[in-house]
Amino acid sequence: MEDMRLMERTLATNQVKVAAKGVDVFYGATHAIKDVSVDILDNMVTAFIGPSGCGKSTFLRCLNRMNDTVSVARVTGDIRLDGEDIYDPRVDPVQLRARVGMVFQKPNPFPKSIYDNVAYGPKIHGLARSKAELDEIVEKEAKDRLKEPGTGLSGGQQQRLCIARAIATSPEVLLMDEPCSALDPIATAQVEELIDELRANFSVVIVTHSMQQAARVSQRTAFFHLGNLVEYGETGQIFTNPRDPRTESYISGRIG
Amino acid sequence: MEGKLPSEQHILSAFDRDLEAIQALIMKMGGLVEAAIMDAAVSLETRDEELAERVRKEDRQIDELEELINQEAARVLALRSPAATDLRTVLSVLKISANLERIGDYAKNLGKRTSVLVQMAPVGDSGGALRRMARAVADLLKDALDSYAQRDAELALDVRMRDRDVDQMYNALFREFLTFMMEDPRNITACMHLHFIAKNLERMGDHVTAIAEQVVYVVTGSLPEDSRPKGDRTSYVAPEVEDD
Repeated sequence: MEDMRLMERTLATNQVKVAAKGVDVFYGATHAIKDVSVDILDNMVTAFIGPSGCGKSTFLRCLNRMNDTVSVARVTGDIRLDGEDIYDPRVDPVQLRARVGMVFQKPNPFPKSIYDNVAYGPKIHGLARSKAELDEIVEKEAKDRLKEPGTGLSGGQQQRLCIARAIATSPEVLLMDEPCSALDPIATAQVEELIDELRANFSVVIVTHSMQQAARVSQRTAFFHLGNLVEYGETGQIFTNPRDPRTESYISGRIG
Repeated sequence: MEGKLPSEQHILSAFDRDLEAIQALIMKMGGLVEAAIMDAAVSLETRDEELAERVRKEDRQIDELEELINQEAARVLALRSPAATDLRTVLSVLKISANLERIGDYAKNLGKRTSVLVQMAPVGDSGGALRRMARAVADLLKDALDSYAQRDAELALDVRMRDRDVDQMYNALFREFLTFMMEDPRNITACMHLHFIAKNLERMGDHVTAIAEQVVYVVTGSLPEDSRPKGDRTSYVAPEVEDD
């Protein structure tokens, strides 16, 4: 009861940023995502958890049409960003990805300076009219050591550079696919702190294998299993009193 | 809420062993507390000073078990990061052990007062009445612990309702002691002690109720919603005018 009331309150104040309805994904003959519907809220971190192969990364990639690049992948259903159908043929996937940014598992800075890494997005999307404006954007995201090569940073710093690069185009939604799995605990904590700060301006969706990480950084958790969205709810509720026995088995480390 | 409790084992079997171990400690502590309640009541009825002394001494074991349970629960929280039912189990272990420890203290207090009461003349059949009340409390505790071991929320809710019987026994004794005191002021010292014993037994019932509520929490994920029936009416008793 308390949970429901709490949920209604937050739902009232946080708008739906991305609304997915009846989404199915096929990889050739494989039915990877089965009729998934979920509302991603603005200014919140939503965690996707589930065992390997459950479809959480596949579903994440539907949200900025990354599956378009996989020739055998077919996505059906309805996904809307601020009410706008992102699979509408008139939507330019490149423009879409400027609004829905992505950070990957392995930090992948360009073999360029830190400045060029951060400036890359705004440059190609024409977000800066002048060099001064570009400088300003880069200054805002990455202040010191701008001339150094991005690849010379430590793993944790590289990942934060990639996050800076992803947010330099001022996206509205940031997708993160296991952003900390290659990082040590300190770097992980720093990235998590950054994620929590990003929440003020973005809607963040994070795929993670670490249940503790989902518990630490997210406000909403979605549990995927065998291509189904089993349970989606307030993170505190999912980790103290999940409604579905499959969620319970997974988060408490039992055989599902 | 059927099928709520995952019957499967943890992938990491040491986690299962940890959880079983702390719950076994709770059952052991519960057994000691049950025995303390009955031993204290029997020592009062049979005016057995030696038994009363033993109850007082053995409370230390109960306190030590509580300490051990706290340490073990902290260890499980730190090392296993329990979630869902596992988390609720560890939290319930902490609360149940705290309640058991309080019940043990009340039993010890009963033993102390018995040592004083054996020096005085018995008041009516108060010893028998208090032993029957202690029996009711010990039975409730036994059922509460059974409901915990079996994750039986129905039985726990039943225990919670039955605490009212204990409250009513207390009401009756309250009036009885009041009458004895009014009849003969020489009864006052003994009756004051007897009243505290009755009150302590009534409080034990409340702690048993709290344990039963923890069982409901572990099984369902939330505490019982309706407020508990209260049978203790003595707060409203005023000095009676001579009219009967």
